[in-house]
Amino acid sequence: MTTESTECCKSTPATECCKSCPEANLGFIYGAFLLRVWLAVRAIQTGVEKYSGMQGSDQPILIDGKVNDYGLTSSVPVKEYALNHYHGVPEALMTKFTQEPIMMQMKWALPLYDKVLGPALLALGLAILLGFFTRTSLFLLGLLYISLTWGLILIKEDSGVAWLGIHMILIVMALMLAKYNRLCLLKKW
Amino acid sequence: METPPSSINRREFLAKSAAGAGAGLVLGMPGILRAADASPSKLLNVALVGQGKQGQVLFDAMRNIPGLHFQAVCDIWDWNRNGAVARIRGLQKHTPKGYADIDELLATEKGLDAVVIATPDFWHSPHTVKCLEAGLNVYCEKMMSNTIDGARAMVKAMQKSGKLCQIGHQRRSNPRYRFTLDKLINGNKICGQIVNVNGQWNRAVKSSQNIAYKPSLTIKPDILAKYGFKDMHQFMNWRFFRDLSGGAISDLGAHQIDIFNWFLGALPKSVYATGGNSYFKEREHFDNVMALFDYDTPQGQVRAFYQVLTTTSSGGGYYETFMGTEGTIKISENSSVTEIFKEASPAPKDPSAPPPDKPIPLSWDHLVKSGYLGRKAAAPVPAPAAGVVDSRVSKPPEGFTLPGELNKPPHQPHLENFFASVRGEAKLNCDAHHAFLSEAPIYWVNPSALSHQPIVFTNEHLDV
Repeated sequence: MTTESTECCKSTPATECCKSCPEANLGFIYGAFLLRVWLAVRAIQTGVEKYSGMQGSDQPILIDGKVNDYGLTSSVPVKEYALNHYHGVPEALMTKFTQEPIMMQMKWALPLYDKVLGPALLALGLAILLGFFTRTSLFLLGLLYISLTWGLILIKEDSGVAWLGIHMILIVMALMLAKYNRLCLLKKW
Repeated sequence: METPPSSINRREFLAKSAAGAGAGLVLGMPGILRAADASPSKLLNVALVGQGKQGQVLFDAMRNIPGLHFQAVCDIWDWNRNGAVARIRGLQKHTPKGYADIDELLATEKGLDAVVIATPDFWHSPHTVKCLEAGLNVYCEKMMSNTIDGARAMVKAMQKSGKLCQIGHQRRSNPRYRFTLDKLINGNKICGQIVNVNGQWNRAVKSSQNIAYKPSLTIKPDILAKYGFKDMHQFMNWRFFRDLSGGAISDLGAHQIDIFNWFLGALPKSVYATGGNSYFKEREHFDNVMALFDYDTPQGQVRAFYQVLTTTSSGGGYYETFMGTEGTIKISENSSVTEIFKEASPAPKDPSAPPPDKPIPLSWDHLVKSGYLGRKAAAPVPAPAAGVVDSRVSKPPEGFTLPGELNKPPHQPHLENFFASVRGEAKLNCDAHHAFLSEAPIYWVNPSALSHQPIVFTNEHLDV
């Protein structure tokens, strides 16, 4: 990252380069910020979606263009968010996991992971967004994605593994750009 | 003030049917009883008698109905009674008084407007009669009684007291059923001439097991004996005993045979039934029953088949199917089972035959467009099997659906109708007399099965 084509930075470390020639590193600063926000949004919204569910909304049936007198309704599914909709591991995957011999040996692990996953995504996503222990938060998010990757390998969801692999590359890039981090609550760690 | 009770009898009913004067209206819209002395804004004071499983189902439906105050609870089992008291306290922040004995309840509680009875069948009639005589309006679960004489006593008590008595044939208030009868069968006549009816309630062995109980919760033998139970097992499983219940044909079949009669606007002329204890050999009542009913309707003869099987869930659970020359309606409280089919329009076979009263519509597109029907996704047509040739095979019928759902617990509309009638805002959809007319043939299913003989109904069989 210190090989920016700007002349003044050719022989100086990045942080000093920033101080001496901030305009030359504006691209890194923007890049670090965008990557941070992307990873944060990805984690936060994924966490929020774990609290989503479908609720039927009753609409009266029209007969001959008028609301029917019988009280017949059609239920239109409406998406909503609520604590009681929480599902850490999607039901379809949960079934597959429970059938895996390894998980059968660790029956306690899946319910625990199911409980922790959503709040963990939300907490890490918010920490990264606000710049709160950015590097440590990115590192923990990476570990979380590794755990998801392991689960998907277990149930042979290869496309999901590849998808998470891309996320891991983005996390590593964000860690490499962390020195250009701006707009942070806590720069430490 | 209440309107005088119904004085309709079976002869009148049949005469109206024969004259085509709308027996369907008679069975379908009793419109005879309404209580008008309760103002719409008044809180109705309700007592719950019987808080076993069905009592809880009714309570769960009533908790959604505004304007009710649950004043008292009665159940001989303290487990049920205390549970009901706790549920009511949670709902209305007021603790109702609990009673083990209905006589004590009626003697003590003042200001009651209505009683909801969900006791075992053999107690329905004594409890209903007591409450009507005490000047209360009654909602009583079906079957009216375990005996036809018990049911007769309920009708007479209703007529004598002038109070309301609704019987829990809840499909009568279900908007899906009411719409189907009013708009599809009678209004648009989509079935054409209904020639056959078929209904069933198939329940798996697992769902038909004896109901177990914790020995520590057993009711004292003297209390059980006082209320007609031999022991705790009989108390929990009264549906399997001949002196206490009508068995599966009454528990499950009564709902659906009532729909046969209501939709056809007629009562059967005869029944021929068979039944047996093929699996639950220790039970007094049959574990499966099959019955054939013959009807003369204003449209013509109809044959109806009904089966209740407690040993298998195969065959799609529970439904009633009305098969006509132009279409078939398969309806169930379970909306996922409900289906409607239109016969593929036949080419006229006999040019010399008189034209039908009403031209047969080539399609039901107009009904779909105006909202009376939904269209069902077409099923793939199976390829004919090699070597099998049937030149007379019918084209597969076109599939449709009912246009809407019931968005409440299935018992709620019927209870709403009852309480609205108590307030004088509605008419009962299934008062005791109309329920009796529809239930009377059901009392003769078990005797036919036991004697292996058909029973041709006379006034003696079916009149109050």
